[in-house]
Amino acid sequence: MDYTMEDTQNSAPETLEATKLSGAGQRGDTQSVTKRLQAELMQLMISPSPGISAFPDADGNLLSWTATITGPTETPYEGLTLKLSFAFPNNYPYSPPTVLFKTPIYHPNVDFSGRICLDILKDKWSAVYNVQSVLLSLQSLLGEPNNASPLNAQAAELWDSDQAEFKKHVLARHRDLDDE
Amino acid sequence: MISSVPLNAGRRRVFGSVFSPASLQARPPFESSSELDQTQLASFQSTGSSSTVRTASLASPQQERSPDAPRDREIWEQAWSAATAFLAVPNQGFAPIYDARQTDGSEALKDWNRLSPPSKETADALSYLAATIQQGNTGYGVTAGSKSLIDWYGDEIRRHFLVNLRSGLHELLKTPGKESLLRTIVDCLQLARRIYLAPVVHYLLPLLQAQKQGRVLTQLQRGFHTVVSYSLPWSEISPLLGGELAQDALIILGIDTLLENTAEAEAEDEGGEDEMEVDRQYSVSYADWKNEDSETRAHLMTEGEHDQVTMARDRLLAFLNGLQQVGLGGDKAQKVFASVMNIMMTEFVRAAYTGQWETPSSVPQHLRHWIENVFARLAVQVLAIIHTPHAGGQPSSPLDVSFGDVEKWQEMGVARLGALRTSELFDVIVDWPASSGAVDDLRHFTTHPAARAHVTQSFITILNQRLLHPGASTVEILQLYISIIRAFHLLDPKGVLLDRIARPIRRYLRDRDDTIKVIVSGLLAEPGATSSKTPSYANETLVELSTELSKAHQLSMETNTSELDWDDMNWMPDPVDAAPDYRKSKSSDVIDSLVSLFDSKETFVKELQTLLSDRLLQKREHYDQEISVLELLKVRFGDSALQACEVMLRDISDSGRVDEVIRKDQGLLRPPTRLFNKRPPEPPVPDIHAKILSRFFWPEIQDQDFKIPDEITSLQRRYATGFEALKASRKLTWRNGLGQVLVELQLGDRAFSEEVTTWQATVIHAFHSDHDEGATRTVPNLAEQLEMTPTLVRSACLFWVSKRILTESSRDEFSVLEYLPSDDEDEFGIPGGDGGDADMQSGDASNAAAAAEAAAAAAAKEAAEAAAMEKMNLYWQFIVGMLTNQGAMPLQRIVMMLSIVVPGGFPFSNEELREFLAGMVSRGKLEIVSGGNYKLVH
Repeated sequence: MDYTMEDTQNSAPETLEATKLSGAGQRGDTQSVTKRLQAELMQLMISPSPGISAFPDADGNLLSWTATITGPTETPYEGLTLKLSFAFPNNYPYSPPTVLFKTPIYHPNVDFSGRICLDILKDKWSAVYNVQSVLLSLQSLLGEPNNASPLNAQAAELWDSDQAEFKKHVLARHRDLDDE
Repeated sequence: MISSVPLNAGRRRVFGSVFSPASLQARPPFESSSELDQTQLASFQSTGSSSTVRTASLASPQQERSPDAPRDREIWEQAWSAATAFLAVPNQGFAPIYDARQTDGSEALKDWNRLSPPSKETADALSYLAATIQQGNTGYGVTAGSKSLIDWYGDEIRRHFLVNLRSGLHELLKTPGKESLLRTIVDCLQLARRIYLAPVVHYLLPLLQAQKQGRVLTQLQRGFHTVVSYSLPWSEISPLLGGELAQDALIILGIDTLLENTAEAEAEDEGGEDEMEVDRQYSVSYADWKNEDSETRAHLMTEGEHDQVTMARDRLLAFLNGLQQVGLGGDKAQKVFASVMNIMMTEFVRAAYTGQWETPSSVPQHLRHWIENVFARLAVQVLAIIHTPHAGGQPSSPLDVSFGDVEKWQEMGVARLGALRTSELFDVIVDWPASSGAVDDLRHFTTHPAARAHVTQSFITILNQRLLHPGASTVEILQLYISIIRAFHLLDPKGVLLDRIARPIRRYLRDRDDTIKVIVSGLLAEPGATSSKTPSYANETLVELSTELSKAHQLSMETNTSELDWDDMNWMPDPVDAAPDYRKSKSSDVIDSLVSLFDSKETFVKELQTLLSDRLLQKREHYDQEISVLELLKVRFGDSALQACEVMLRDISDSGRVDEVIRKDQGLLRPPTRLFNKRPPEPPVPDIHAKILSRFFWPEIQDQDFKIPDEITSLQRRYATGFEALKASRKLTWRNGLGQVLVELQLGDRAFSEEVTTWQATVIHAFHSDHDEGATRTVPNLAEQLEMTPTLVRSACLFWVSKRILTESSRDEFSVLEYLPSDDEDEFGIPGGDGGDADMQSGDASNAAAAAEAAAAAAAKEAAEAAAMEKMNLYWQFIVGMLTNQGAMPLQRIVMMLSIVVPGGFPFSNEELREFLAGMVSRGKLEIVSGGNYKLVH
């Protein structure tokens, strides 16, 4: 009946209650991000688009995903499986996710560490975009690179000059990321 | 020494005037008094220690005999020996005292020769010695300075007691389980005391000055007390004393009658004695007290004490008197008394108030009254006797008990009451609201944080033991939770205690799957529909909730107090023991507390939708109850949250109108207006009505798909056309599994008409034939023909068997019972026919009905399983996505990921998933690679 006991007794459920009920502060943000991402995932699952797929990583907080794009037909990437990583900021969808190619790729708008130059992932980002739309944009980027602002100048040049050579480079660079 | 000369001279003169020299000379100095009879003399001489004392005391005078005082010395010695011989206590041992303990003692005193007046010489000797005492020194000059008669007698008492009585008393103490053992001991000791003191009091004291008398007596008494308490170990006395005190206190405080009363009340029916009437005048029973008016109440405990009580009181006080006299009283006894009274108070509170929960409660008043008039009275009386002898043996002021003490006792009493109520609290709340008085009592107790903490803590313990376990149904828990909310609101309007109590309950309820369901169905229940039955427990719904909903609504309109109301002059800060995140909530609002159990309104609304859809799809004239509940809930949740429900309700009311319009437009109206008449024998066009639901807003409805009769399909098509004409860009999708059909069957010998489900109607329609003899169908055929699951077909057939339309001629083969067997005509036509056969028949029918029900359940289960598989397909998408992006995974990891990413959690067990994945492996979509990892096959 002393007060210390009473305190512990009170505090234990209170934290629990807080996580369950309260929706304020930092936690609230994370929660809304989580909610949004969960909804996006659900959408991807219900209406999958051919050639793209994405799923959260196993760390359990949904803030990092792995995506897979199958190379579109009639592009140099046809039949290739390309993996990407998504890292969502805490204020997603008000900031764009950080998207990187994990699979080594030879592409005018992608550098050798997988960084992508795509306007909607930078200044043109809008909260209406989502994982699916980003993946679709990237898929089309494979077929229609934006050679005006290349990250890989050689690739941009080659794309314009010699498609066959370009494809050779693509295949040479490509390596399937095996399951670890 | 100058001053001593006249004194000595004076003394000699006095002595001479009293003692005749002749008589003194006639007695040898060491002779016993001639008055002593032979036995006494013998015993006197045999007392070795006594003789030693005497010789020792005389030894020094012999050595220091001064020449001028031989005469005095001799006189003194003679006087001494006479006096001691007279006073010496005969060594009779313990037995005579024990035997005489019940008498008034005079007999014993005589036996012990304590009353016989001293002979002339002895008396002279006594007064001579007394005179020496009187003068402050011890008699004969310095010679006997260390020894006075009184001291000697003190030693004598001690010696005698130790030699004769001590062992006897010890034996007495050892006697196990003797009734009122202590009383015996005290009696014996009292007798012994009288034996010791009688001669002193009678013959010695009168010789002394009044002021000295007291001192001498006290000295002797103290000596006696010392030797008594030395011989009797207190550790053995105190339990005995405690027992004695408790025994009488039980009677005096009225606790025994309370206990009897409860026993009596149980035996009342068997014509119990009207003792109650006698007791009436004096009763400490709460029930009696409560029934009296305030005038009588005041006197109830103070006047007209029951004989038994008076007797017990006299007995106890007499006993304590004796106790005090023999030196077993004092502060030690007070301690024992205090502990007994402590127990008594608890006992009384328990005996008097257990189960007395009526409102309004006057238990605290009654308790205070009792403490003041009964409890304190006894305490005062007892303490007046067993006072601590201090300040020269004067009893301290007669009022040992101040009024402050009584108040303190009252506080203690209330605290005890609080403890009792706390332990009863669970039962109190189960009995709520009949028991609100008990909560009132508790409120007197929960005035400081420690008490409040105690109440909540012990209540939570009880809750965990008695309520929050799998054995209690959710309805029970919720019911009790509601009672708790109400009770604690009364106990502590601020809601801090409730806040604390509610946490474990809420946590527990959250873990229960059916909590929402129970709450929602409770909200939708018809108030008053089940009120005639026992409140809410038995029938598995909380009807109370719907009542509460409408009631609470009115309340919330009235009291709209918020913390931000800065004009609130009655504002109070939160109580000190409030939890840090405590919010002044409308905790008393039952609905709010229950609804806020869940993280979001969505869960609640979803469940509400499901239930609502069930109810709305029933064929009913109006849905007032649902509408009113929805309106009330809208006040709480806001319109937007309940939009879907709103739409559902509107769908239903709209479809009534739309239905009418479409039917008019499409010429579906038939002059003979029989509703829901799908299959009349004569007119080929059945009547069709539809409820038009906006699919988006309705929860998923489990449906069994099958082919309905062509007539109906064409009707549906016409209806759909009408609808599309009415509402462009909208389409109807028919839910054939839902709905009711009024079926009329024309059989060879009878007609049948009843409302059944669509699938039952469809199946019986398949038996339709124009021929007279009954058609026969088999289940597999029907299943194929109607595109219905065999289970459902069988269930429908069994249903018709139970209605005696079909019979099962062989397994899974049914035929129409065009004509009932002849014995059935007995049953229906001629009463009193072949009863046994009829019984058997009806037994068959009921068996068939049961079978039909079981089959329907099986069909429903099948449908549910199908739906589950449907869901599994969605999970398959998740699994594909997972395995595509994250690579091969073991089962455990898949389950874990699914439980994270699937909204609402993954409902299947590891085993089920393993089975499902195994199916996928066998279909070639998955492969199992090293380490049991599942991998997609590209």
